Order: sequence, then structure tokens, then C-alpha cells
Amino acid sequence: MNKAARSLFLILLTLLVPASLPAAPAQEASQNTLGFEFQEYRLRNGLRVILSVDGRLPLVTVAVAYGAGTIREKPGQEGLAYLLENLMFQGSENVGPLQHISFVQKVGGNLNATTTLDRALFYQTLPSNYLALALWLESDRMKSLAITPAAIEKTRADLFKESQDRLASDIYLDSFALFDSLLYPDYPFGHPLIGAGMDMLGLTESDVLTFHRTYYVPDNAALCIVGNIDTARTRELIARYFDSIPPGMDIPAPPLPDFRQDGEVVRNLSGIRASFSGFHLGFRFYPLQTGDAYSLKILEYLLLKGETSQLMDRLLNNRNRLAQHFSGTLEDRRGVLALKIFCLTNNADMVERSEKAILSEIDRLRTNRVSPDEMAKAKRMFKMDYLRSQSTNLGRALFLVDAAFSGKPMNTLGGELDKYMRVNPSILTGLVERHFTPRNRVILELGKR
Amino acid sequence: MKIAPRVRPGPAFCLIALAAVSSASPTFAGAQERFRRTPPLPDAQPQELRLPPIERISLPNGLSVATVYRPGSPLVTLQLIVRAGEIDSPPERAGVAALTARMIGKGTKLVSSSETEDMIESMGADYSVDVLMDYTVFTFHVLEEYLDRALFVLRFMVLDAQFTERELAFVKRTAYDDLRERKKSPEFLGWRQFLRTLFENHPYQTATYAEDVIKFISTKDVASFYDRFYQPDNAVVVVSGAVDGATVGKKIGLHFATWIRQPVERAVPAPPPPNARDRVCYVEDPNAADATVFVGNVIMAASDPDFFPFLVLKHVLGGTTHSRLFMNLRESKAYAYYAFSETEFFRSCGVFWARARVTPEFIVPAAREIIREIKALSAEAPVPAEIEEAKSFLIGNLPTRLESLEGFADWLARVVALDLDEGQWDKGPERLKLVNVERVRAAAQNYLAGKPLVVIVGRPEWLGLYLREFDTIEVYDNGGTLKQTLHK
Repeated sequence: MNKAARSLFLILLTLLVPASLPAAPAQEASQNTLGFEFQEYRLRNGLRVILSVDGRLPLVTVAVAYGAGTIREKPGQEGLAYLLENLMFQGSENVGPLQHISFVQKVGGNLNATTTLDRALFYQTLPSNYLALALWLESDRMKSLAITPAAIEKTRADLFKESQDRLASDIYLDSFALFDSLLYPDYPFGHPLIGAGMDMLGLTESDVLTFHRTYYVPDNAALCIVGNIDTARTRELIARYFDSIPPGMDIPAPPLPDFRQDGEVVRNLSGIRASFSGFHLGFRFYPLQTGDAYSLKILEYLLLKGETSQLMDRLLNNRNRLAQHFSGTLEDRRGVLALKIFCLTNNADMVERSEKAILSEIDRLRTNRVSPDEMAKAKRMFKMDYLRSQSTNLGRALFLVDAAFSGKPMNTLGGELDKYMRVNPSILTGLVERHFTPRNRVILELGKR
Repeated sequence: MKIAPRVRPGPAFCLIALAAVSSASPTFAGAQERFRRTPPLPDAQPQELRLPPIERISLPNGLSVATVYRPGSPLVTLQLIVRAGEIDSPPERAGVAALTARMIGKGTKLVSSSETEDMIESMGADYSVDVLMDYTVFTFHVLEEYLDRALFVLRFMVLDAQFTERELAFVKRTAYDDLRERKKSPEFLGWRQFLRTLFENHPYQTATYAEDVIKFISTKDVASFYDRFYQPDNAVVVVSGAVDGATVGKKIGLHFATWIRQPVERAVPAPPPPNARDRVCYVEDPNAADATVFVGNVIMAASDPDFFPFLVLKHVLGGTTHSRLFMNLRESKAYAYYAFSETEFFRSCGVFWARARVTPEFIVPAAREIIREIKALSAEAPVPAEIEEAKSFLIGNLPTRLESLEGFADWLARVVALDLDEGQWDKGPERLKLVNVERVRAAAQNYLAGKPLVVIVGRPEWLGLYLREFDTIEVYDNGGTLKQTLHK
């Protein structure tokens, strides 16, 4: 074949090869308890695409998540991921500073962004006939973000002031960061989003550019579109706007947790200027066995969700109230789970009584099997929240992005709810026995004992 | 050596190749494609907002039932609307409407407060109560298989309610603490004083009480309010979800059949007159970091023909960060951190206000600039492009407010409770499309030409430092009591 003919052949071949390559089979229709369908594929540059149709309202949500969370920061770089998230609004080749916001708001849309341990997430919900606008905006900043020294300086100054204001307005905020560093002693998992902002002041332009060049690339991202869309047309638009964006080079794998806790950790933060005594108490769960994550979620509901849950009732019940404030949650930091509790009391004596009450309630689970009624209540409350979180386009998009980043096989999502519903009392007893040990426990007390 | 014949490609080949190069996905490192340079146009045929109809029936005891078929989710919302809100509290017992609503679910003769709570959580349900100016809404979000049980729980909570001293003491303490906590917000202090002054000598002022009135309310007051307003003739049960209206209507009929009909006399107040004189109120907040400025007045009710043109005006004035107030007060003059405009509508009237968080030394110029912007809209209508941009925002934004369970439930309850027409249900976009320069001009002249009320929240020391230019200032403490009136 001569050179010209070969060129023609290659051009025609390019025309015939679809712009996107299928990556996942169709979803398992028989086991889908999600209440919605979705499809997933990858572009040639590695961008993961997830689409889901919901025609109830003339709206569409476009979410783009990059594997560019705080876990990517090295010691001394605290705040870098958050700085990048904010720089994403400072303009790109064809979109001026803050114009992304004005384009979306002018058509009645809402938008926001957030940075977590493992991702930076950008999303907007807008009238569905403006889908192309959202894709144009997201693709422009994915392809050609304008990072200038002036933009870095301005954004950094704004974020620094914001962090100082937040620390000044919440006397307990510092203690949350300290508690996380005790609960997750390995730096990538335990450092805060920005903290006091001092690390951020020391970041160089090169740090920012390197982070962006490494992690804000299509093969380290997921694009999820949920709403009133025509999938064929949507795939065309995605190919048009995203397919030609170059992939990244050598994206490092995220660090794995380094579990080094050998015994119970108890610390005291005595310098805090607070009117209440109190404490943080937590258990860290790693490594997990198959199914532990589902069981821990149901346990969270049993202990902490609702006014009548076991710990809420024990600590806040009006007849024998121990705490002035009590809250808790199960946290998932890329496969490392932790049950975190924050409690404020009137005095040091009540701190001790509250700690004992919490630990005795948990201990009771080792010997006293959870009653069927309690179990059913916890599961129903969980099911309600689970379904409710997926009742909006944005909720579904965040759910799908979360699944994509968690590494779960996407074609098992339809059966996920059943896995939570299959948790039973004996599973919980075993779970408590294995994980709720002093070795996994961290306590940070606030104020003098 | 064999030489391959040189083939000169003809024009057709060149065209094909050119087309191929331009239409195929370009290489990753290529120059910018032309389509990236400008924002794409929207699809020519936008999807219209279409909500399912509200089906209504009336039961023999006078209880109304409204159902909306909303597919696509296994969750159902059950609401009970009682047409009695803050306005219906006797003036000497302000707050009794809120306390009565909070007492619902706090025990019956047979079931205690904690047992009720346990029954609600055992369904996995989410329960809340909202007391608004004109009505009260009890809301359950529940899994559809628990709708029957939720109806049972709602029925005994409301129909068998018992008001004990012990539970009322607890409810009063919580209500008192909530109001004290809210006083920490300058926005709340400003908003409350704004309504209190606008609604002077009008029943709507009853809603603006401070925490100190709570202690005077007794179980007798609560029972009396309950007996007067919690009647089937004065209530609507609303269900939205993937439910069959007729079946649900029958179930509600069975559950609430024992609710005996009693006549309810409830007058709808006449709309209050708008503020018509220069009036500046200053609320002292010793902890304020910045000043908060409210400027606004009484406007029409939501059923008025000026409603949609006024929404456009409000948006032009201060709907977003691109509207006039924000661009002027923040971006141009740097007086404020933000400046927006808002509206709220009650049964008899509405209110509009501009709200700005202002650097203390710029309180006076900021307030004057807000008044100037309002006057400018009444003197000269916005240009057509500004009006069209506002309409585009309002039409596009409306569905986002209806997406969530809570958003949809609030929207539905408002339409049902205030007997609003389809324009307030899903025909808003169609009504907005009909708004033009003339109608906006007329609405501006009707409602923006008067003298707006000014309310400022700030530290006591700022009065002498920054507010000397006002002729008269009424100074209030953070509980809303008039301390003094200062004259220039």
C-alpha cells in the first residue's frame, strides 16, 4: 500500500472506529433495586462516563470528579487539593474567571464543588436543554485550565482568610483535626483539608502546576450525567467535547493505609477555650472482611441515627441526660472506616460518665443479641436514607460517582441494598467482637479532667 | 529499483480527506477546535415543566384530601395541613400556634411521647412540623409500604393529642432555647424587626414574637387553640408519591372517620398598607461582625396579576451575583460582601426586601444606594434584554426547587394551603413567558414607587460613629423593644 493510500485507509479507519469504546456490560436487570438504570463506558483518553436517564423534570446534572483529593498531598502540601478545586473556577482558555458560575446561574442552574479524601468533585444542575453548555464548560477547564501566579495568589489569600475565620468562629474545629490525626496516624488519610492554612502559604507555583498536570486528567476522572437526556445525543456531545483531551502521564496509585496503631490512644487537649467539657471517641476499622462495611453501616444506624437509637437515647434522654451535645457518624476514608463520636458535657465528671455509658452500650452488643425490632428499625431508617439520597438527579450522580471511586463493580450496584438488608444480629455480634477493641480505639478529651 | 507511480489525488479525494480530518476526533495534542471558542446554543425545544394534577376530594366530615401521583420513587410524602398559623395566635398569647404544633406527638392517653417517637422511627420515617404565618404542616416522608401505618400514627397523634404540663414544660424550654439561639443571627434579628415594623397594628405582627412570651403559655391556651383550629373542616391530608388517589382517599376516610365535624370561624386579614414614610430602625447586636441592612416594603399576594412581573423585577434588582445590587454594592462600590433581593408571600399580601451585609462605615451609603436602585426600577423599566435574562433564570430555576422530596412537599403544601391556582403549581413558566416591559413597568410603579422601610442590625457603638446622617432612627434591643428614638 503506498503512502497516500495508507493515509486514506487510516483516515477512513478513524472514521469507522467509534469515538468511545464500551467498557462495561449492560446492568443486571433482574437484581436492580436501585429504581433507575445507568450505563457506563470509557472514552479513548480513559475518561470514565456514566449516564442515567430520569425524565421526570426538565433538568440535568453534570458531575465531574477527579482523583485529586487530599490523599494525593504530600507532607507540607496541606491545602493543595482544595486550592486546585478553587482554581478550577478562575478561568480556562475560552471561559473567563468566574464565568463558569455566571453561565450556569444565568440559565437558572445551581452548581458547587467539594474536595474529599480521594476526589475533587464539580457539579451543576441546570435545564436539560443546556446540557451542551455544561459539557462545554467542564471540558474547557479539563483541557485548558488557566493557572496564573495572580490567580494562585488571589485564591490562596481568599482561602487562607476563610480558614482563619472558620477557626475563629468554631472553638472546637482544631480538636476535630487533631482527633483525625490520632485516629488516622498515616498522613495521607489523617490530615485536614486546609487546617490553619500555613502549609498552603508555602506552596510554590510549581507544586500547583505539577498537582494539576498529574491529577486533573481525563484518565483520572469520571463524568456522570443524570437527568432528562437522550443517551445517543449525550454520547455524541461527550465525544465532541471530551474525546480530544489528552490523557495524563503516569498517574501514581493512591497510597494504601498503613495501620500502625498498637493500643488504645488517649490524649487530652487542655488548652481549649470552651465552656463545655467534652471528648471525641472513635474506633478505626481496617482491614475489613467481606461484608463488614454493610454491617458497620447498619450498626451506625442502630447506635446513632434517630432520637431513639441506642446511644442517642442513652446520652440525650431527658430523664437521665448525660450530654449537652452528642453526635456521631460512620466515616469511610477510601476503605478505612471509622465510627466517630463527639460529645459535650457540663463538667469533667459527666465526661467520664458519658464515656463509660458509650463503651458499655457497645460492650452490651457482644453479649446481648440485638432484638429483631431494633434491627428492623435500624434497617428501615437506613433504607429510607439510602433511597432518599438517590431521589434527585444530583443525589444519583453523587451515588454513581461514589461507586465508581470506591472500586466496586458497577454492575453489582443494583443488588447493594439487599446486602445491607441481609445483615443480622449474629453478624453484628461478630463484628463488634472483632473490631471494637481497645487496640482500635482513640479518645481525645477536651479540657482538664 | 521499482518506483511506485505517483498518484496525484483529485479534488474529490481532497474534499473527502478534508472532511475526514475535520470530522474525525482530532489528535490529543492538536490545536483548539473551533467549537470550543464560544458557548454552544441550547437545544431549540426545551422540555416543559409538567407536574401531575392535584386530585382533590372532600370527606363527609369536611376533611379535604389532596393526592398527587408522583412515580419514580418508592418514597411517599404524607402531610396534614391545618389552616392555622402564627397569625392565628391571640395577640396576648403570641407563639401558641407554634407550641400547639410542637405538642402534637408528645403523647396521648394511651401512648407516651417516647413511644410515639419510637413508632415513627420504627417505620424509618422522617417526621417534621412547620408553623408558617397562615398554616401549619405536619410531614412524614416514608417508605411506600408504610403509608398505612403512617396514616395510623398521624391520626392518633393529631386526634388523640393530650397536652400535659410535663410535656409542655419540655416543649417550652426547647422553643425558648431555639429562639434564643436564633437571636445570634443578625439576619434573623433584621428579618424579625422588618416584619414587626411593616406589620405594625396588623395581625401578621403576631408572628414576630420574642422568646420571653413563651413562658406565659399554659396547657389551657394550647388546648383552646387546638379545639378551635384542629378541626376536619380546617384541614387537608395531602399524599404525594406513586400512589393511587382513589385508594388513598378511601384509606384516609377510614382512618379519619372519627374526626367529628365542628365549624371553624377564621377570618382572612385584609392586606396591610405599605410603609409610606421615611423610617429607619436600628437593632443593636453587640456581637455583630458587620452590619446587615434590610430595605423593603409590603407587596401584592401571590394570586395578584402583578405577581409574575414582580418576580422578574426582584430578579433584576438582586436575584443573583450578576444582578444590579450585587454588581453595584459589592463589585463597583465595595460597600457590601453581598446584596440580594427576596420575596415572601402570605395569604393576604407579600413582602419584598433587599438584604446586604455591609462594612460598618458604609451603612448609610449602602442603604441609600439600595433605595436608589429600587427607585431606579420604578422610574425606568429594565431593558428587554435584562427582562429576558431574568425570565430565563426564573423559568430554568423553578424545576430545581421541586426535585427533592422536601422541595416538592413544600411546594404542594403551599398551593393547597393557600388555595393557589395552576400558575403557582406548574404553569409558572407559561405565565413568566407572557411578562413584558409594560407589565414590569406597571408592577414597578405599583409597588416600588413608595418609601421603603430600612432596618439595620449592628453594634451599639456604630450608631454614633456611622449613622449620623439619618434624620430619625428608632433604636431597638435584640429582643425588639424600642430603646430610644434619635433625631439628627
